Amino acid sequence: MGEIRDGQEEPEHVNRPEMPAIDDTGAARQQVEPRSRAGYAAELERHVALVTFEPRRAGLQEVSVNDATAYLDKHHAERPWLSVARDYPPEVQRIFAALDRGGGHAHIRHEGWVTEEMNERRVRNLEDPAQLHPAKRMAGVDGVKVGDQPHRCGSIATRITDPEAFATAFAQGIKHPDVRAALDSPGPVPRPVSLPISVILGDDGHKFCSGWRLEPVNGSILEALANRAAWVAGNRDVPEPEARPVETFEGGTVTYVFRASTVGGHEISTMYADPSDEEAT
Amino acid sequence: MKRRRDRERSQVNQAYWARNPQGPFATLIGVAATYCHPEAYDGAYEDLTARARSAAPDDEEIHVFRAELREALADPSRLPDDELFKAVQFSDGSNEAFLRRLWHDLYGDEP
Repeated sequence: MGEIRDGQEEPEHVNRPEMPAIDDTGAARQQVEPRSRAGYAAELERHVALVTFEPRRAGLQEVSVNDATAYLDKHHAERPWLSVARDYPPEVQRIFAALDRGGGHAHIRHEGWVTEEMNERRVRNLEDPAQLHPAKRMAGVDGVKVGDQPHRCGSIATRITDPEAFATAFAQGIKHPDVRAALDSPGPVPRPVSLPISVILGDDGHKFCSGWRLEPVNGSILEALANRAAWVAGNRDVPEPEARPVETFEGGTVTYVFRASTVGGHEISTMYADPSDEEAT
Repeated sequence: MKRRRDRERSQVNQAYWARNPQGPFATLIGVAATYCHPEAYDGAYEDLTARARSAAPDDEEIHVFRAELREALADPSRLPDDELFKAVQFSDGSNEAFLRRLWHDLYGDEP
């Protein structure tokens, strides 16, 4: 026992016979366990964040696993963003139910139920995926805000494509000190926090992200946004907006945006992925 | 120890105001991102308007915000690169147009 406690983590090879050149033990091991020890620990930490998620720590109403499953079963027909989570583990369903009972919209606009086409139309034409009324959606009416307010969108529309990765990003994010400080702050609405995707979802986390970006007009993205606003308002003297897919989210971030919570303190108003600045160039 | 923790945290948070807490216009950009970005919560812009118009004497952030907004309007070229646009994603066409609208909405015709 003492040898185990005091010894090196990996055994030394000095007294062992040399491996034959044709031996493929390493390759076989790689197939079975491609993760490094650090990678395994990080993955375990993300899993623990998911299964130990406490809605109250995120400024959300408490919900049990059983109640969450029942909530999704009851509401998925009229709230289609809940449907994608129904085939996932109970802890994933719990996060979706907790979010849906809160005031945020991350799971409605930035998650896997949103298709590529919906995101492309959102960034190009301000059609809100959260707007379930087809005519209102085409007219650019926001689906989340109270009243028939115009929908707004920046130069990029993104989503985390897998419900479990999305839930993990949320659960892992609320454990981060910067996000915790924001959620626990007593003052006015805290500023957004942007964390590397690799910190939140691991080195391959960017593979769970997808999105579309507005094409610049005359080489300017500022002009493209002004142009889109004019086009959507009915001005046909400006060029029709165009969009293209984001090529990669490697090196990108997950941003957490805050609002006052109905149960006191703050909650996450939305959470979305962004590609790195270099991706656009 | 706390200073070291703060430094480690700010190295992870990629937002401009976290990377450059003492950087130029960090408060203006941070507050504008919080209340004016398209992904901000419903009613955020109205909340900023109310907060700016009836700023409490001890609301240091909003007083710094106002001073930096005035400073940026006087010379928008002093804003750091495209950090304001990246943080706010406005549709006004230029930094100056956005800042003018913001000042007008918050402070009206005040000089």
